[in-house]
Amino acid sequence: MDEHAGPGVFFNNNNSSSSSSPLLQAGGRGAAADSDGGEAGRAQYSIPGILHFLQHEWARFEVERAQWEVERAELQAQVAFLHGERKGQENLKKDLVRRIKMLEYALKQERAKYHKLKYGTELNLGEMKAPSFDSEEANEKETSGSLNNQLSWKQGRQLLRQYLQEVGYTDTILDVKSQRVKALLGLAGDGTGDRSGQEPLLNGTDTDPLALGPLSDSSSVLEAFFIESAAAEFSDEDDEEDSEGKEKTIVDSRTVSRSDDPDAEEALKDFDFLSNTEDMDTSPESRSAGDGTDWEKDRQAWDVDQGLITKLKEQYRKERKGKKGVKRPNRTKLQDMLANLRDTEEPSSLQPSITPPPRPNANRFNEHDSSHTDEVEAITFPPSSGKAFIIGTEEAMETGELGLGELAGLTVANEADNLAYDISNNKDALRKTWNPKFTLRSHFDGIRGLAFHPVEPVLITASEDHTLKMWNLQKTTPAKKNASLDVEPIYTFRAHRGAVLCVVMSNTGEQCYSGGLDGTIQCWNTPSPNIDPYDSYQPSVLRGALCGHTDAVWGLVHSSAHQRLLSCSADGTVRLWNASNPQAALAVFNENKDLGLPSSVDLVCSDPAYMVTSFNNGRIGLFNMETRQQVLNMESTVESGASCQINKVLSHPTLPITITAQEDRHIKFYDNNTGKLIHSMVAHLDAVTSLAVDPNGLYLMSGSHDCSIRLWNLENKTCIQEFTAHRKKFDESIHDVAFHPSKCYIASAGADSLAKVFV
Amino acid sequence: MVMAEGATVVRRNRPGTTAKYIQQNIRSDCSNIEKIMEPPEGQDEGVWKYEHLRQFCLELNGLAVKLQTECHPDTCTQMTATEQWIFLCAAHKTPKECPAIDYTRHTLDGAACLLNSNKYFPSRVSIKESSVAKLGSVCRRIYRIFSHAYFHHRQIFDTYENETFLCHRFTRFVMKYNLMSKDNLIVPILEEEEEEEEEGGQNPSTGESEA
Repeated sequence: MDEHAGPGVFFNNNNSSSSSSPLLQAGGRGAAADSDGGEAGRAQYSIPGILHFLQHEWARFEVERAQWEVERAELQAQVAFLHGERKGQENLKKDLVRRIKMLEYALKQERAKYHKLKYGTELNLGEMKAPSFDSEEANEKETSGSLNNQLSWKQGRQLLRQYLQEVGYTDTILDVKSQRVKALLGLAGDGTGDRSGQEPLLNGTDTDPLALGPLSDSSSVLEAFFIESAAAEFSDEDDEEDSEGKEKTIVDSRTVSRSDDPDAEEALKDFDFLSNTEDMDTSPESRSAGDGTDWEKDRQAWDVDQGLITKLKEQYRKERKGKKGVKRPNRTKLQDMLANLRDTEEPSSLQPSITPPPRPNANRFNEHDSSHTDEVEAITFPPSSGKAFIIGTEEAMETGELGLGELAGLTVANEADNLAYDISNNKDALRKTWNPKFTLRSHFDGIRGLAFHPVEPVLITASEDHTLKMWNLQKTTPAKKNASLDVEPIYTFRAHRGAVLCVVMSNTGEQCYSGGLDGTIQCWNTPSPNIDPYDSYQPSVLRGALCGHTDAVWGLVHSSAHQRLLSCSADGTVRLWNASNPQAALAVFNENKDLGLPSSVDLVCSDPAYMVTSFNNGRIGLFNMETRQQVLNMESTVESGASCQINKVLSHPTLPITITAQEDRHIKFYDNNTGKLIHSMVAHLDAVTSLAVDPNGLYLMSGSHDCSIRLWNLENKTCIQEFTAHRKKFDESIHDVAFHPSKCYIASAGADSLAKVFV
Repeated sequence: MVMAEGATVVRRNRPGTTAKYIQQNIRSDCSNIEKIMEPPEGQDEGVWKYEHLRQFCLELNGLAVKLQTECHPDTCTQMTATEQWIFLCAAHKTPKECPAIDYTRHTLDGAACLLNSNKYFPSRVSIKESSVAKLGSVCRRIYRIFSHAYFHHRQIFDTYENETFLCHRFTRFVMKYNLMSKDNLIVPILEEEEEEEEEGGQNPSTGESEA
């Protein structure tokens, strides 16, 4: 009945066929179809229809068969792999059992010797014969299976190797690691083997085909030890820790890491002396798992031997200590990490993840420790940890010493720190060193002032050669010699009749203003940054001159809020101008030169109605521009009549602080509200000539005649970077420094007629 | 290394000191051309010529500023001095017939680029032999600014010359170091001086100049 319904279903059914039990489904649908239009379906039987159906079914069967083949291949691979693993485990067990037998034998020997020495008679312990490994091996070989199993075991090994390579371990690293593990195991074995003096080292008897297998497994054993020891040592500092808890950790980690092999576990417990160095006496007693041997008691009876063991353990412990990082987190955190490690390791690499050598695990712990203490989720780190611990191992491999784990650990920890830092301090663009990038040569004489365009990578320089030049930092000429690129100016502003001393740009960059020795302030319309340098002359670039000052204009500042311009001049006055309409000055301050000659002027950024002026006698005055009154005279400590010229005054962009650059090498900070000196520091070896604050208000840059530019952190007033730029030209070096308001550029103007731009 | 005390210190291994020396002399008396022209002891001649040329370009800015007001592209559509020659601006890929004010600006900018270029003048303490030839071509082009100003904007020229004696100095400079051929020196400065000396009238010769 179902068979009949098949073709009908085929015709009526538009759904895609599923692979599982199609016939049954067809039957089900057929039943439904039958009630609907089974007769119609049956009536549609035709030869092509049947043929089509048969072909369709055949195709489906073929697809399924292919899938099953694939599945079977996978399963076979898995079987082979498991075989191999099982073989590995068996070998491990065999090794451990051999070791046990060896140690037992050695113990018996010792006991006999001891007894003989003590009592002078022979102790009859019964038959003491050296364990014969050959028969055991023969037995095991018989039980291990046929050639097929050997083959699959080999395949398994190949697979292991392949996985390890995927993880990133090359064979050489593996070998080195296994060597080291061998050495370590040999070291531990030497402690007991020396006394026996008869049995060769366990590892030494390994035959070649078994080399990788047991070693990597013994390294995994050791890795388990290390986990335990790491856990133990981490928990040493925990006050609440007791040996039970320690043991619990050990048992936990062991159950996590080891497969279900009760014999191996039992054997492993005996090696806990490797981890519990401090509580050696207590832990064997507290160990709840039954050993089945009377070993511990015997061990305690060996005073001499214990001493040696203890010594070895101390040595080993020191090595372990050296490998650890500085930070020691909680045991719970460690367990979390372990859990995370296990979880995250699974997808990346299969079982061989257990086999990677111990040190990188320890390193990873360190990294995770630091990551935990940095309070970043461990989950974010495994991808980097994968990379990090490889770096750790390579480094350890290169040094080839056991004790270099600390260095490797440090490397990894540092990387973690850097990562954490990057994540948290993404926007801190100035946490870097500035390097010279561009050199602007074209002026004939020293450059006195600099101004950056607010948005474009454009700079305007004002020079003593009566010109201003505009530079586009993206139009560089290929320089052959230095690393720094040469830039050529795209426009030359000519209008001043003397040296140009200062330049400012409006907040849009459309206009710029320059003040000169001739007492005029010229207003310019900034040409486009893409202008051709040798274009025809545009008289419209020069907007006009602001005349009023009778002597050199030393300082200019533009207020975008009010479209005003402030200028200070050697004629003693500070004048306020309307920037958009070049006319006579709106206001004049200090006309009678009470306060001295102003050397620099700035707008108070936190309060645009105020401006601060510094004078060449060291005084600083805060003025209210609306009331045209002086509000405050800053406390400038003038010592015994010696006045100190202030070269530059700057207002902090956000805080009510005024910063001054003094001729006596100091930089001083004043509070705008009280006028008190907040901080004073010797900043340079010569007069400080210029100041600039970065747009975020975090860093201060100062330039000085000692040819150096320094970057300061405004919070702790420490110097972050110093670089030497510009040559000294007759006692003068750097006249001006500036930050770009939006891009990552700083520029310095030199008396050697060069301007340098740093990135 | 020669170390000397005093205001006119010339330490030979310091770049920029020659420029300062020249500037000091000019500031003290700009009409005393002899003194300004006289190199100090042991001064390298190439460096002396270079620094002087830089100073000339610097001071010519003043003349250019003055010319900017009067010399418009519609009045002076070409760079000429006398009727004979039209000077083409060499600052472009192919020499272009720039209006006079453009020629002036481009020539000064081009001179600034050349004299400051790392390629030709990497050091201010010693000048490469191959670059000395460049000085001559710069002088030739700079001179045309003088000649154009003399013949087309006489008043500006005279005012400026009385302030700075720049053309006099330039002519002397060029002749002393043979940077240009005498035929090109069409601005009648020497003739005026000869007139003063000889008290005889001589017609200013109208020379011909090349592009």
